[in-house]
Amino acid sequence: MSSSTQSLQEEIQNEIKAHKILVYSKGTKTEPRCGFTVETMQFFDRYGYPYELVDVLENPEKRQALTEMTNWPTLPKVFINGQFYGDTDILDEMAAKGELEPLLKTTFEKA
Amino acid sequence: MITEEAFNELLKSAFPDADIAIFDKTGAMDHFRLWISSKAFEGKNLIEQHQMVYRALDDAMKDGRIHAVEIKTDIPKN
Repeated sequence: MSSSTQSLQEEIQNEIKAHKILVYSKGTKTEPRCGFTVETMQFFDRYGYPYELVDVLENPEKRQALTEMTNWPTLPKVFINGQFYGDTDILDEMAAKGELEPLLKTTFEKA
Repeated sequence: MITEEAFNELLKSAFPDADIAIFDKTGAMDHFRLWISSKAFEGKNLIEQHQMVYRALDDAMKDGRIHAVEIKTDIPKN
């Protein structure tokens, strides 16, 4: 019996609170199973801040809950400091506008 | 796979004033690069603009006609 949407929501909320940078992905850090997941990892590697991946490739209920929560149909889904930031399409543009570095700084300074 | 007309129609119904440029990235008509300019994006941040586009394409993404869309949004200057 799959966990109800309620506990799925809590599971997601706990995860995005527990990690300053969290990526819901296809595959894991050691075995990424999608080009965009690798691209997202490389993106954050350039900034040198720690990030966590949660593999939801084989978890359709959780993927559905995440899609509904963010109104974003694709993976990966990136959360920074508990806020949703889409994927590298968004992050690349934010970086180009100089908005990303300050966000990452304040996110990690508050620790 | 989706035709360019169907893709355009989905967007035009949500963004009647939009200027649209669609680029088929792989030749299979299911991975696209999209440029879209519309007044509807005014006052919206980047994420909201992309979410508005995804909402317009929701059906075609759910049934797999579209696998991925690289979105570039714009706001007309005039």
